[in-house]
Amino acid sequence: MTSLALTGIKKSYGAIDIIHGVDLAIEPGEFVVFVGPSGCGKSTLLRMIAGLEPITGGELRIAGARMNEVSAAERGIAMVFQSYALYPHMSVYKNMSFGLETARMPKAEIDLRVRKAAEILQITKLLDRKPKQLSGGQRQRVAIGRAIVRDPQVFLFDEPLSNLDAELRVQTRVEIAKLHADIGATMIYVTHDQVEAMTLADRIVVLNGGRIEQAGTPLEIYNTPANRFVAGFIGSPKMNFLNVSVDGRAGEAVTLDLAGTKLAVRGIDARPEGLCLGVRPEHLDVGSDRGTPLGAMIATHVEQLGGQTIVYGSLKDRQPIVATLNGQKSVRAGEELRLTADLAQCHVFDAGGRRVAVQSA
Amino acid sequence: MTETTVDATGSSPLLRAFAYAAVLAVSFVMLYPLLWMVSSSFKPENEIFSTTSLIPETFTTDAYRRGWNGLSVSFGWMFLNSTVIALLAVVGNLVSCSMAAYAFTRLQFKGRSFWFALMLGTMMLPQHAVLIPQYLMFLNFGWVNTILPLVVPKFLAIDAFFIFLMIQFFRGIPRDLDEAAVMDGAGPLRIFFKIILPLSTPVLATAAVFSFIWTWDDFFAPLIYLNDIEKYTAQLGLRTFVDATAQSDWGALLAMSTLTILPIFILFVVFQRLLIEGIATTGMKR
Ligand SMILES: Nc1ncnc2c1ncn2[C@@H]1O[C@H](COP(=O)(O)OP(=O)(O)O)[C@@H](O)[C@H]1O
Ligand SMILES: [Mg+2]
Repeated sequence: MTSLALTGIKKSYGAIDIIHGVDLAIEPGEFVVFVGPSGCGKSTLLRMIAGLEPITGGELRIAGARMNEVSAAERGIAMVFQSYALYPHMSVYKNMSFGLETARMPKAEIDLRVRKAAEILQITKLLDRKPKQLSGGQRQRVAIGRAIVRDPQVFLFDEPLSNLDAELRVQTRVEIAKLHADIGATMIYVTHDQVEAMTLADRIVVLNGGRIEQAGTPLEIYNTPANRFVAGFIGSPKMNFLNVSVDGRAGEAVTLDLAGTKLAVRGIDARPEGLCLGVRPEHLDVGSDRGTPLGAMIATHVEQLGGQTIVYGSLKDRQPIVATLNGQKSVRAGEELRLTADLAQCHVFDAGGRRVAVQSA
Repeated sequence: MTETTVDATGSSPLLRAFAYAAVLAVSFVMLYPLLWMVSSSFKPENEIFSTTSLIPETFTTDAYRRGWNGLSVSFGWMFLNSTVIALLAVVGNLVSCSMAAYAFTRLQFKGRSFWFALMLGTMMLPQHAVLIPQYLMFLNFGWVNTILPLVVPKFLAIDAFFIFLMIQFFRGIPRDLDEAAVMDGAGPLRIFFKIILPLSTPVLATAAVFSFIWTWDDFFAPLIYLNDIEKYTAQLGLRTFVDATAQSDWGALLAMSTLTILPIFILFVVFQRLLIEGIATTGMKR
């Protein structure tokens, strides 16, 4: 178990800046997930930690020691690639032993380690096969096995599940979580899938455009997103962002106008222009007596998922809105629904997208 | 392959028959000299130029006996010389060109694109432009009338075409594999020998076969550098059958020519599959 510390980490390709100064401290044994849209620099950041990409600026420390100039092999890190990157001409056994042979480990020790890792991953029967004789899920295991045998201090995963089908993805996700619980190594996991991030992470780091938008536990990120980007990125269906205007202000108390409906809130510390109210679809309720009325919604499309009913529609002023209702609700397109929500679960974002503190009045 | 050819000629049976006939006719015209050479090698000397028929009237292997033993050195000896030179050229090209290609595709070094351009430039350079300076250089080394000028340069990656071929192939090997090996602690040499080379058998085979064929077939360089008949390659040996002053032994020439083609023919048949794979995966066919 090892700690990592990133201070002001920057990356440029020529004149183009990709990573704009990342500060992050990772605790020993922590499972950290980098999540963000495609092209935001997740892989680049991971590859800089791995030592595959030179660090343009800032400092990387592993277990307190500066690593910027240390070669990839000497950082005590193993990496699982998105493509698995198994050596096609080597057997599964050879794939796993290659790194140990490179380190000139005694044959007996290598054999012990490979067989132990194979047992953990249940691939003992496959040891003599070539990668092309394996299914996607099996290749994935071999790739993880190759990382495990080296007994690294830090595991890096770059979108390891993106090439698997949905069912296998869920299964492997659970296995990776179990692996982390078993061996307790520090793990950094890159994904663009927010469900993977929510389910695996001790801590999620949301990246966008080469910057950290927010870092926190999955529930912190979900409950108190720092800004509109994070709020929109985590959660499915996406959070509703509804334009509101300030109707009146009396000291702490502020009245917001949402498509004609007045909302009394307190403690908004922001300029009144361009405010928007963020409500997660699952926090909206229909025809309920509890919560604050948010006005009427005209349903335009309904999805019945069995356990949930997702209603797409718009407010009086034609702003689109989505509501996820528990259970099977008989809602028809064209129907008018009375929306309510608990204002404590709502967020107000200012014109710059920053989340501003809000309490229901 | 065959299916696309058939499709390309259209679906009408008449049109297809016509196309096949045309292809066969052209093939025959192209192959006629070769077939004539083989058949004439089994004819008596007086029959060679008196008929265009491909079937010998009297079948004889006398020309083979004359060709093999007719020169002051046995033709077998020249075969051996050719084989030694061609094999050394194959080894030299494989070792040196693959290393150069690896450097150009995977290593970072100063002036990489400059050197790459320079290497490509040597492909455009006509052989004859460097002939005299090269000859003088080897003369100074004292290498003329030895096989060294024919063999040593091959170990110095002079064949830009093979380097280029291998570069194309190496580029197709995913970089992830290199990076996985880097994470496994492997340095550039270990990656080259353990990852890149084992994955490159098709292109290595292609380069090997072409090196062998081109060196085997080469007439010019041995002509320039080899003077003693004991050092002659098979190609030089063939020329000695044609004499401007005394009488030429055409039968022996054609018989030995047929023998000289044989190794190339066998090589091509055996490696055909690998060759096609090598050429296809290097992007030459894309
Ligand atoms: N070798 C490179 N040269 C130039 N730009 C690059 C290079 N590698 C990545 N980039 C750019 O860096 C950005 C981040 O890439 P990446 O880290 O792969 O994103 P992610 O993994 O989050 O999808 C992208 O805009 C990409 O185009
Ligand atoms: Mg990526």
